[in-house]
Amino acid sequence: MVLSILIILPSLQYAFAQDEPGEYMDRRVEIWNLFFRMMTVAFTIGAVVSGTLIWLVIRFRESNPKATPTKYEGTGELDG
Amino acid sequence: MSSHSHWSEWIYIGVVVALLVWVGAEAWNLERLVEHVPEDAKVIKVTGQQWFWTFEHEDGTKEVGELHVKKGVPYKFEVTSTDVIHSFNIHDYVVLMDAVPGRINTVWFVPFDAGEFDIQCREYCGLIHYNMRGTLYVEDDA
Repeated sequence: MVLSILIILPSLQYAFAQDEPGEYMDRRVEIWNLFFRMMTVAFTIGAVVSGTLIWLVIRFRESNPKATPTKYEGTGELDG
Repeated sequence: MSSHSHWSEWIYIGVVVALLVWVGAEAWNLERLVEHVPEDAKVIKVTGQQWFWTFEHEDGTKEVGELHVKKGVPYKFEVTSTDVIHSFNIHDYVVLMDAVPGRINTVWFVPFDAGEFDIQCREYCGLIHYNMRGTLYVEDDA
Protein backbone atom coordinates (compact mmCIF):
# COMPACT_ATOMS: atom_id res chain seq x y z
CA MET A 1 0.00 0.00 0.00
CA VAL A 2 2.82 2.39 0.91
CA LEU A 3 4.52 1.63 -2.39
CA SER A 4 1.35 2.26 -4.35
CA ILE A 5 0.82 5.60 -2.63
CA LEU A 6 4.40 6.78 -2.97
CA ILE A 7 5.30 5.54 -6.42
CA ILE A 8 2.54 4.09 -8.57
CA LEU A 9 -0.25 6.65 -8.05
CA PRO A 10 1.99 9.72 -8.53
CA SER A 11 3.52 8.22 -11.69
CA LEU A 12 0.07 7.50 -13.08
CA GLN A 13 -1.04 11.02 -12.31
CA TYR A 14 2.14 12.38 -13.82
CA ALA A 15 1.58 10.37 -16.98
CA PHE A 16 -1.91 11.80 -17.38
CA ALA A 17 -0.88 15.30 -16.35
CA GLN A 18 1.32 15.91 -19.38
CA ASP A 19 0.74 19.09 -21.32
CA GLU A 20 -2.28 18.78 -23.52
CA PRO A 21 -3.14 21.86 -25.54
CA GLY A 22 -5.86 23.88 -23.93
CA GLU A 23 -5.90 21.84 -20.73
CA TYR A 24 -4.09 23.31 -17.78
CA MET A 25 -4.22 22.60 -14.10
CA ASP A 26 -6.42 24.98 -12.14
CA ARG A 27 -4.32 25.68 -9.07
CA ARG A 28 -7.32 27.15 -7.24
CA VAL A 29 -9.11 23.79 -7.45
CA GLU A 30 -6.06 21.62 -6.73
CA ILE A 31 -4.76 23.64 -3.80
CA TRP A 32 -8.13 24.12 -2.11
CA ASN A 33 -8.96 20.42 -2.65
CA LEU A 34 -5.71 19.47 -0.94
CA PHE A 35 -6.56 21.83 1.90
CA PHE A 36 -9.99 20.24 2.44
CA ARG A 37 -8.55 16.71 2.23
CA MET A 38 -5.92 17.62 4.81
CA MET A 39 -8.58 19.10 7.08
CA THR A 40 -10.62 15.89 6.78
CA VAL A 41 -7.60 13.78 7.73
CA ALA A 42 -6.68 16.14 10.58
CA PHE A 43 -10.18 16.06 12.08
CA THR A 44 -10.44 12.28 11.62
CA ILE A 45 -7.15 11.69 13.45
CA GLY A 46 -8.20 14.21 16.11
CA ALA A 47 -11.52 12.41 16.61
CA VAL A 48 -9.90 8.96 16.79
CA VAL A 49 -7.18 10.03 19.23
CA SER A 50 -9.44 12.05 21.52
CA GLY A 51 -12.16 9.36 21.32
CA THR A 52 -9.64 6.74 22.40
CA LEU A 53 -8.50 8.88 25.32
CA ILE A 54 -12.08 9.54 26.44
CA TRP A 55 -12.88 5.82 26.25
CA LEU A 56 -9.67 5.04 28.20
CA VAL A 57 -10.49 7.48 31.00
CA ILE A 58 -14.09 6.24 31.38
CA ARG A 59 -13.28 2.53 31.06
CA PHE A 60 -10.34 2.47 33.47
CA ARG A 61 -11.67 4.84 36.15
CA GLU A 62 -11.52 3.41 39.67
CA SER A 63 -15.29 3.58 40.13
CA ASN A 64 -16.04 1.45 37.08
CA PRO A 65 -17.78 -1.75 38.27
CA LYS A 66 -15.69 -3.65 35.72
CA ALA A 67 -12.42 -2.32 37.17
CA THR A 68 -10.17 -5.05 38.59
CA PRO A 69 -7.30 -4.49 41.02
CA THR A 70 -3.85 -4.61 39.46
CA LYS A 71 -1.33 -7.14 40.68
CA TYR A 72 0.53 -4.37 42.50
CA GLU A 73 -2.33 -3.31 44.76
CA GLY A 74 -1.93 -4.41 48.35
CA THR A 75 1.67 -5.49 47.87
CA GLY A 76 3.16 -2.22 49.12
CA GLU A 77 5.18 -1.89 45.90
CA LEU A 78 3.43 1.34 44.96
CA ASP A 79 3.76 3.02 48.36
CA GLY A 80 7.08 4.61 47.49
CA MET B 1 4.07 -6.48 29.74
CA SER B 2 4.83 -9.37 27.45
CA SER B 3 1.84 -11.28 28.75
CA HIS B 4 -0.81 -9.27 26.91
CA SER B 5 -1.51 -9.02 23.23
CA HIS B 6 -0.37 -5.95 21.29
CA TRP B 7 -2.40 -6.45 18.11
CA SER B 8 -4.79 -3.57 18.75
CA GLU B 9 -1.89 -1.20 19.37
CA TRP B 10 -0.21 -2.25 16.15
CA ILE B 11 -3.44 -1.66 14.22
CA TYR B 12 -3.76 1.79 15.82
CA ILE B 13 -0.14 2.65 14.93
CA GLY B 14 -0.63 1.24 11.42
CA VAL B 15 -3.72 3.37 10.74
CA VAL B 16 -2.05 6.55 11.97
CA VAL B 17 1.16 5.88 10.02
CA ALA B 18 -0.85 5.08 6.87
CA LEU B 19 -2.78 8.35 7.18
CA LEU B 20 0.43 10.31 7.69
CA VAL B 21 2.04 8.65 4.66
CA TRP B 22 -1.06 9.45 2.60
CA VAL B 23 -1.00 13.09 3.72
CA GLY B 24 2.70 13.37 2.86
CA ALA B 25 2.26 11.70 -0.54
CA GLU B 26 -0.70 13.92 -1.49
CA ALA B 27 1.12 17.10 -0.51
CA TRP B 28 4.31 16.03 -2.26
CA ASN B 29 2.40 15.11 -5.41
CA LEU B 30 0.51 18.40 -5.58
CA GLU B 31 3.71 20.34 -4.99
CA ARG B 32 5.20 18.54 -7.98
CA LEU B 33 2.18 19.27 -10.18
CA VAL B 34 2.06 22.91 -9.16
CA GLU B 35 5.75 23.37 -9.97
CA HIS B 36 5.43 21.80 -13.42
CA VAL B 37 5.33 24.89 -15.66
CA PRO B 38 3.69 24.36 -19.10
CA GLU B 39 6.17 24.80 -21.92
CA ASP B 40 4.02 27.37 -23.71
CA ALA B 41 3.72 29.63 -20.64
CA LYS B 42 4.34 33.31 -21.30
CA VAL B 43 6.91 34.89 -19.02
CA ILE B 44 6.08 38.02 -17.04
CA LYS B 45 8.82 39.62 -14.95
CA VAL B 46 7.41 40.88 -11.68
CA THR B 47 9.43 43.36 -9.63
CA GLY B 48 8.43 44.47 -6.19
CA GLN B 49 9.75 47.64 -4.62
CA GLN B 50 8.59 49.97 -1.88
CA TRP B 51 5.70 50.18 -2.49
CA PHE B 52 4.47 49.13 -5.90
CA TRP B 53 4.62 46.32 -8.43
CA THR B 54 6.14 46.55 -11.91
CA PHE B 55 5.35 44.00 -14.63
CA GLU B 56 7.31 43.40 -17.80
CA HIS B 57 5.83 41.30 -20.60
CA GLU B 58 7.79 39.17 -23.08
CA ASP B 59 7.51 41.89 -25.74
CA GLY B 60 9.10 44.43 -23.40
CA THR B 61 5.95 46.38 -22.50
CA LYS B 62 5.87 47.43 -18.89
CA GLU B 63 2.98 48.06 -16.55
CA VAL B 64 3.00 49.59 -13.11
CA GLY B 65 0.38 48.70 -10.53
CA GLU B 66 -1.76 46.84 -13.03
CA LEU B 67 -1.37 43.74 -15.12
CA HIS B 68 -3.31 42.79 -18.24
CA VAL B 69 -3.45 39.13 -19.22
CA LYS B 70 -5.51 36.95 -21.56
CA LYS B 71 -8.02 34.43 -20.30
CA GLY B 72 -6.98 30.78 -20.72
CA VAL B 73 -3.29 31.51 -21.39
CA PRO B 74 -0.64 30.10 -19.02
CA TYR B 75 1.69 32.68 -17.50
CA LYS B 76 4.92 32.18 -15.62
CA PHE B 77 5.85 34.95 -13.21
CA GLU B 78 9.52 35.59 -12.51
CA VAL B 79 9.33 37.39 -9.22
CA THR B 80 12.07 39.52 -7.71
CA SER B 81 12.58 42.65 -5.63
CA THR B 82 14.88 45.64 -5.75
CA ASP B 83 14.92 46.54 -2.06
CA VAL B 84 13.38 44.46 0.72
CA ILE B 85 11.48 41.18 0.74
CA HIS B 86 7.94 41.41 -0.62
CA SER B 87 5.46 38.70 -1.49
CA PHE B 88 3.47 38.68 -4.71
CA ASN B 89 -0.10 37.50 -4.18
CA ILE B 90 -3.16 37.13 -6.39
CA HIS B 91 -5.58 35.84 -3.81
CA ASP B 92 -8.38 34.74 -6.15
CA TYR B 93 -5.99 32.57 -8.17
CA VAL B 94 -4.05 31.21 -5.17
CA VAL B 95 -0.81 32.69 -6.49
CA LEU B 96 1.72 33.50 -3.79
CA MET B 97 5.47 33.90 -4.16
CA ASP B 98 8.13 35.78 -2.21
CA ALA B 99 9.95 38.60 -4.00
CA VAL B 100 13.52 38.47 -2.72
CA PRO B 101 16.31 40.89 -3.74
CA GLY B 102 18.98 39.18 -5.86
CA ARG B 103 16.84 36.14 -6.50
CA ILE B 104 14.23 35.15 -9.08
CA ASN B 105 11.39 32.98 -7.85
CA THR B 106 8.90 31.51 -10.27
CA VAL B 107 5.21 30.69 -10.05
CA TRP B 108 2.72 30.00 -12.83
CA PHE B 109 -1.02 30.13 -13.28
CA VAL B 110 -3.77 30.20 -15.87
CA PRO B 111 -6.50 32.84 -15.51
CA PHE B 112 -9.67 30.87 -16.18
CA ASP B 113 -12.16 33.65 -15.45
CA ALA B 114 -12.26 37.10 -17.00
CA GLY B 115 -12.53 40.09 -14.68
CA GLU B 116 -10.59 42.24 -12.24
CA PHE B 117 -8.68 40.71 -9.37
CA ASP B 118 -6.63 42.14 -6.53
CA ILE B 119 -2.86 41.92 -6.38
CA GLN B 120 -1.42 42.49 -2.91
CA CYS B 121 1.91 42.36 -1.12
CA ARG B 122 1.76 39.66 1.57
CA GLU B 123 5.07 40.27 3.34
CA TYR B 124 5.33 43.27 5.62
CA CYS B 125 7.71 45.58 3.76
CA GLY B 126 7.48 48.94 5.49
CA LEU B 127 5.21 51.90 6.06
CA ILE B 128 2.98 51.64 2.99
CA HIS B 129 2.91 47.83 2.83
CA TYR B 130 -0.85 47.86 3.41
CA ASN B 131 -1.32 49.80 0.18
CA MET B 132 1.15 47.96 -2.01
CA ARG B 133 -1.62 46.76 -4.25
CA GLY B 134 -2.27 46.23 -7.91
CA THR B 135 -5.03 45.03 -10.18
CA LEU B 136 -5.03 42.01 -12.44
CA TYR B 137 -7.19 42.47 -15.54
CA VAL B 138 -8.09 39.19 -17.20
CA GLU B 139 -9.34 39.95 -20.69
CA ASP B 140 -11.63 37.69 -22.63
CA ASP B 141 -10.05 36.95 -25.98
CA ALA B 142 -13.33 36.24 -27.73
